[in-house]
Amino acid sequence: MPKDIIKALAKFELLGMVIDPEYGGLGTDVVTAGIAAEELARADLSCSIPVLFLVGTSWGHVIDKYGTEEAKKEIFSKSIKGEQIIGIATTESDTGSDLGNMKTKITKKGDKYVVNGEKMYISGVAEAMEYGGGHVTLARMKPELGTRGMNMFYLPLKDTPGITPTYVEDIGREAISCGGFDINNVEIPKHYLLGEENKGFYYIHEGYELARGLIALVCAGAASKALENGIAYIKERKAFGRHIGKYEGIQFKLAEHHVKIQALRQLGYKALWTYDQEIQGKASRFEVSMAIAMAKSVAPFWARDAIDDVMQWQGAFGYTKECEDQKAWRAVRSFTLAEGSSEIMKLIIARELLGKEFLAYR
Amino acid sequence: MKILGIEIVLEKCTGCGLCIKACPFAAIKVKDKKAEIEANCTLCGSCVDVCKFDAILIDRPKLSNKDLSEYKDVWIFVELKENEIKKVGFELASKAREIADTLGERVGAVILGEKAKHLCDEIAAYGVDIVYIVEIENLKEYNTSNYSGILTGIILKYKPNIVLFPATHIGRDLAPRVAATLEVGLTADCTGLSIKDGLLLQSRPAFGGNIMADIISPTTRPQMATTRPNVMKIKKPDNSRKADIVTIPVNIDPKAMRIVIKEIIKTTKSGAKSLDEADIIISGGRGIGSSENFKILEELAKTINGVVGASRAAVDAGWRPRSDQVGQSGKTVSPKLYIACGISGKIQHQVGMKSSDTIIAINTDPEAPIFDIADCGIVGDYTEVIPALNEELKKNLCKN
Amino acid sequence: MKFIVCIKQVPDTTEVKVDPKTHTLIREGVPSILNPYDQFAVEECVRIREEIGEGSISVITMGPPQARSALMRCLAHGADEAILISDKAFAGSDTWATAYTLSHAIKKIGSFDMVFCGQQAIDGDTAQVGPEIAQQLGIPQITYVEKVSLDKTHKLTIHKQTDGGDQILEAKLPILLALLPPSSFQPEHPPMSSILKAKRKPFNIWDANILGGDKSKFGLDGSFTQVIKTYTPPSRGECEMIEDDPKEAAKKLSKILCKNEALAKR
Repeated sequence: MPKDIIKALAKFELLGMVIDPEYGGLGTDVVTAGIAAEELARADLSCSIPVLFLVGTSWGHVIDKYGTEEAKKEIFSKSIKGEQIIGIATTESDTGSDLGNMKTKITKKGDKYVVNGEKMYISGVAEAMEYGGGHVTLARMKPELGTRGMNMFYLPLKDTPGITPTYVEDIGREAISCGGFDINNVEIPKHYLLGEENKGFYYIHEGYELARGLIALVCAGAASKALENGIAYIKERKAFGRHIGKYEGIQFKLAEHHVKIQALRQLGYKALWTYDQEIQGKASRFEVSMAIAMAKSVAPFWARDAIDDVMQWQGAFGYTKECEDQKAWRAVRSFTLAEGSSEIMKLIIARELLGKEFLAYR
Repeated sequence: MKILGIEIVLEKCTGCGLCIKACPFAAIKVKDKKAEIEANCTLCGSCVDVCKFDAILIDRPKLSNKDLSEYKDVWIFVELKENEIKKVGFELASKAREIADTLGERVGAVILGEKAKHLCDEIAAYGVDIVYIVEIENLKEYNTSNYSGILTGIILKYKPNIVLFPATHIGRDLAPRVAATLEVGLTADCTGLSIKDGLLLQSRPAFGGNIMADIISPTTRPQMATTRPNVMKIKKPDNSRKADIVTIPVNIDPKAMRIVIKEIIKTTKSGAKSLDEADIIISGGRGIGSSENFKILEELAKTINGVVGASRAAVDAGWRPRSDQVGQSGKTVSPKLYIACGISGKIQHQVGMKSSDTIIAINTDPEAPIFDIADCGIVGDYTEVIPALNEELKKNLCKN
Repeated sequence: MKFIVCIKQVPDTTEVKVDPKTHTLIREGVPSILNPYDQFAVEECVRIREEIGEGSISVITMGPPQARSALMRCLAHGADEAILISDKAFAGSDTWATAYTLSHAIKKIGSFDMVFCGQQAIDGDTAQVGPEIAQQLGIPQITYVEKVSLDKTHKLTIHKQTDGGDQILEAKLPILLALLPPSSFQPEHPPMSSILKAKRKPFNIWDANILGGDKSKFGLDGSFTQVIKTYTPPSRGECEMIEDDPKEAAKKLSKILCKNEALAKR
């Protein structure tokens, strides 16, 4: 992503929205961050900028909550000004949803930690390598304890000995990079540990949940902009002697998608509001997990369907790279996976309804 | 002596005398530490503005239909530049003459300045019957309070039916001030003025020039309007015409002036033909591409004795000075011939040149809105068309 | 030091189009914006206040309920409080009635030192309301103001644009200034923190009852000018397109121009 775009986000004070003003942030609630996410998606149908925003916001929030004073001062003084980025790196080549079985390990060595392993399918690797910044990372401290022995920590990539990046070209969100990195005896200072040792798996969900809530609004923003493009098109284009917007078939689709996208917005904002409520001690974990999972379980699909029909209305043109809406179509496809797959969302919903005894794969 | 419409609130008056300093007509005296209004008060209101104690009240009576008919004659405010009449004054006089003829009334002109008498014959030639002049040194430079107070007083005394102002910097500062003092209707930037059912019909563009509006001021007098320079046509002068001259005595206390001019900076070179007066303008916009490329337009201008203008885009890009700008936020021009090169012709530019007699447009974009108002157009690159045109014209004009 | 800024919410006239069939304005989908001249006025007022280190800024507008967003924008730019003067009774106001309503509101706010406004609104383009407010408040005015300097002793220096150049003026307070942004002025969006702060600033709505004043002077009844007709400007007729390569086109154009009166005069 071009540096001047990151700087522009910083200029409008979008990069530290939820961070404590003590570190230069605005200290807003997450609903306000949701509004920003939705608007950024309306403006950038490829969703590259919204992804940079939502990842930086969610994982910045986690650093704000669990980071050491030293780490926070060091990280936020640069990230909020757009001088470096914040990302998330939990996925590996062989590990996605099954985080407890990941290969990356972390051990204590005197005053530092040493990390070994690899991460893959991570957003923002190129940006972190070039501009600076780091990724909130998960690794196994006590592998024998599974999810109860994981550390969450901040891992800078640029100029870090032992980090070897690789890049892959994913099929959408072109302006933000996708890639991975090998971690070979990388040493990180102890003040980069986030929260306590072995408790990382529990903290990480707070970041995922906020990111998922923002993703729901990104899907809604991109889809509603695509629908607006579609409306303008069907009011202009004629076939068989009349504007295609006059045909019932088109109108039925338009109405159905409009309702779904508005419903998605309500699910998304309710989820973010619940997240805020929990911060204030007014909502339970159950309510937050449920609301967030509900919104993200449907977001990429309802958005995809709306955008797909907008492309269909545009006929052959919709299948070309000149059509703006196809960018959104490719972008929202990533959200069935990013920050937690749709399948996991459904398992979370079911778990909340059935109780922990019914957890799948136990 | 009680003067109709003005009253001194004796309990509030402290006899400070600020009102005396502000009155242009020397119509106030202080007697026994209280202000007293004299018979020659014109109700201009200059005293009300300066009184710190709100001790002066003016209540000009609302006009009945009978009163409206007492207002006669079509006046123009003649703006001066270095003691000479600005070209727009002749445009206003021509239009006023036309309106006055329809009404069967006379044309009056008001000139405020340091020296005015020498201008009376000149303005009379364009159809003015009476010239009201105020000549004092302190009127050399425009000052809102001075000009407004004096003009308001003259209008209240002589009751014109219509007063026209130029929509220049001065006119657009003065006219609303006077209109608000008199509590009358004022219409800005009129492009059309005529009489309909005995009333002044004022036509003007609105919404950035996208729409035209016809406006009347039926219940108040005088009916006031401003018109942009280069819109009304100037009639042929009749140098045998003479006008009556009414000299109005006025005094201004410079110490009472609350706004003072410290420095005057002139940016337009005197002598250089200005855009306003050119018969031929060759204008360039964003499509010119650079400051150097304007030389191509300047070459053509030399051949046909024209002046180079610019759209806002070219001025904003720093290629041409602001004084060259044609358009809504620049100058309005109406030359005989306007050649637009590399100008898309957005409405804000059109407003500034639409009333040109002939418009030629050259643009690489066939959809450019400039072609909607052009009489003749070429879809092409000006860097090829203009030099070729220049050569052709040199050949053809030499033949003559 | 008390500053008052008068603003207007206007349709973005660069986006307005005319319906080719009915010859009326198409107003749907045209975004409403803070009049750019007024945005410059607000920004300049805030800058002046920062320079002298004191003063409170009230921003007011007469408009429909939607004008709220223009006022919020001004609060985000740094004004301290906003007042929306809104009532059906104000509908149909010409510049006189508008000036009456606004000056009445200013008198109701109380004593003030400076009134800032934009030179003109991009929909009406009259530039009349500023001077008319000044007259009704009984204060001097300076229009076409490009630059304002105020020092801590409240000495005011103004850089004003005239037809032939510029003038530097000194003026006493109270005064009304009508500001003209330089052609380089690009209305910028305020940052997030200012927008969030704006939500917590005082915002009041005054209808005709709260405003008080002579009701006969508001709205259509109080207006001295009446619009009796609106229409699209007449078209100039067809454009004769010369279709040819540049050299041939130039030849044809040259023939047309040589017949033109302007060149014949040469």
